[in-house]
Amino acid sequence: MIVYRCEDTLESVFTAIYLAYEEKRNHEDTLLSLTQEPFLFAEDVKVTAEEEKSRKVLNTLKRRFGSEDCLRLCMALAANDENKAQAVYRTVVKGLRCGCRPGHLFDNLADDNIHKAFSLGRGVSTEVGHQKQFLRFQELEKGVLYSRIGPKNDVMVFLMPHFADRLSIENFLIFDEKRNLFGIHPAGKAWYLLRGEEADRPLELRYSEEELHYQELFRQFCHTITIEERKNQKLQKGMLPLRFREYMVEFV
Amino acid sequence: MEYMVRGGEMPLADKLQVLTDAAKYDVACTSSGVDRKGNGRGIGNCVAAGICHSFSGDGRCISLLKILLTNECIFDCKYCRNRHSNDIPRATFTPEEICTLTMEFYRRNYIEGLFLSSGIIRNPTFTMELICRTIWLLRNQYQFNGYVHVKAIPGADSEVIERTGYLADRMSVNLELPTAEGLRTLAPNKHRKSILTPMRQIQNGIAANKNDLVLYRNAPRFVAGGQSTQMIIGATPESDYQIINVAEGLYQKFGLKRVFYSAFVNVTGDRSLPALPGGPPLLREHRLYQADWLLRFYGFRAEELLDEKRPFFNVMLDPKEDWAVRHLEEFPVEINRAPLEKLLRVPGIGVKSARRIVAARRSCSLTFSDLKKIGVVLKRALFFITCSGKLMYPVKLEEDYIVRNLTSEKDRIQFGSDGMTYRQMSLFDDVEFTRPISVVERQQAAVGQL
Repeated sequence: MIVYRCEDTLESVFTAIYLAYEEKRNHEDTLLSLTQEPFLFAEDVKVTAEEEKSRKVLNTLKRRFGSEDCLRLCMALAANDENKAQAVYRTVVKGLRCGCRPGHLFDNLADDNIHKAFSLGRGVSTEVGHQKQFLRFQELEKGVLYSRIGPKNDVMVFLMPHFADRLSIENFLIFDEKRNLFGIHPAGKAWYLLRGEEADRPLELRYSEEELHYQELFRQFCHTITIEERKNQKLQKGMLPLRFREYMVEFV
Repeated sequence: MEYMVRGGEMPLADKLQVLTDAAKYDVACTSSGVDRKGNGRGIGNCVAAGICHSFSGDGRCISLLKILLTNECIFDCKYCRNRHSNDIPRATFTPEEICTLTMEFYRRNYIEGLFLSSGIIRNPTFTMELICRTIWLLRNQYQFNGYVHVKAIPGADSEVIERTGYLADRMSVNLELPTAEGLRTLAPNKHRKSILTPMRQIQNGIAANKNDLVLYRNAPRFVAGGQSTQMIIGATPESDYQIINVAEGLYQKFGLKRVFYSAFVNVTGDRSLPALPGGPPLLREHRLYQADWLLRFYGFRAEELLDEKRPFFNVMLDPKEDWAVRHLEEFPVEINRAPLEKLLRVPGIGVKSARRIVAARRSCSLTFSDLKKIGVVLKRALFFITCSGKLMYPVKLEEDYIVRNLTSEKDRIQFGSDGMTYRQMSLFDDVEFTRPISVVERQQAAVGQL
């Protein structure tokens, strides 16, 4: 048995999938593992991520399964789960083997691995949606917009295109405090990611003059729009889980 | 301009308070129906699914900055908080104030766009002109490319409505009350005909615009997100049957995107309005929304759900369950064979899970545990479905039995913690042995962890 030891990145997992095909492994007897947990009677292969190989895999997935399903696989790999690499690998193997048409990769939900990859992808996609909804920018001095988030999964890559398109003429910065990851968008230019150290954590932000005024206006707006006769805290909690509220200006 | 006279007196915060308070009974706060990329010049884009940015204490979504241009009104509709005989603080925004608020809220990701309605000042055409001018300013001077929902004021000149349509993403004309009779008693200044005229105009505008877009890809879009309307529920004695018939008519004849229902809240205390000691009729509103979904996505017709003899929805069962227990001759439905339309009629199976079932059964025949993975709500569906000819539990296909099980928590068939245990244990249980052994299991067996 072969165990490919990957890092927790998309490039690394895709490189491992490339290697498994290149080295003509028996896919039934091959594992992709993100941990260092030892397996008995298994041969370990350490994977170093290679851009060329992962790009080739990405292109193949896009061509064979369509961009929507390919995106869902990428999202599954952004999930916070130890077995995601194996689930994605098995899903890819099954999809390629049965020659499924684009857009039909996740049809067979009765299969455990496909279901696992599907539900991981769905979870990440939901979280991306939540962040698009509940993320709040604060205006700092000189008009830079800053936002702090704490998502369960690594959603930054999927978040940035949305905001870059929406706020293309703004300088903005999103900070993922769980991963020390910055998404940076300079006005009118392409966005990029920056992985920081613990010391890079932004402290003591200086707001612009107007910022607190608008925060107060929005807080007041949210308060006023509530219809007293229909009050329903449970419904509110269901739609807007408590874990997001520490990052939102209207609940501070 | 005259309407700006009081502009300087009141601070912005107070105005926002008054005009939000005045707008909060309007239901529509959706930002859906339009997919538009950012244009690189201004800020904003639109996502077809819509985005809700917050939820207020009543659980309703806050997607748009929902405000009135002014809450001064020459009309005297009995249910409305802003009727001119009501003694409340009045305020009016200037167009610049609205634009600044929208832009500043939008770039902080508080909102998805603007919802602008207004009380009637002077006359409908004048009011519509003001709204149109505000939106024009927002689009052209402030370069806002996000979502804009505006009210078309009944009775306004058609030319102004058309101009506004090219600036807005969605327009709505409020039907207010389901029947012309109700409208006559409660809203003496409004007429059914004056409400339906702009609705028809917008519908025709959208249809004509579709043709233009086929010819010229970059033609300006007219009300790209479609139009919607809303009705007040429980202020007048109409039955649910009448209401969903009106809704069905609106969807079919006026091509509406959405009909919203608003449980009546008595804010004016007028004596011709019903007192509601139990609070607003929220359950009734909920049932109407459920029925509305059945009409739009599940292929039901209004007369299937209710009829003259049973004009109200069941309080205990939702409309789909209610329909199912009255049509037991259609059940049980075989999951592995039934067509999509039949699956959609099973309680507990939604549009997504029905599509997933149809896709998944191409690869293998489905069992109940597969259905659980797919997302079917088995506690409702189990009475109505079979997998490969078998029921999940030995249940009876009888109206009384099913209703009892669907409604009372105590009598329900008890589920195990994982929702799937209800099987007699036996020594010769070979359920797991037919499955191929997976790599992980082989590994676990080797190290003795299985």
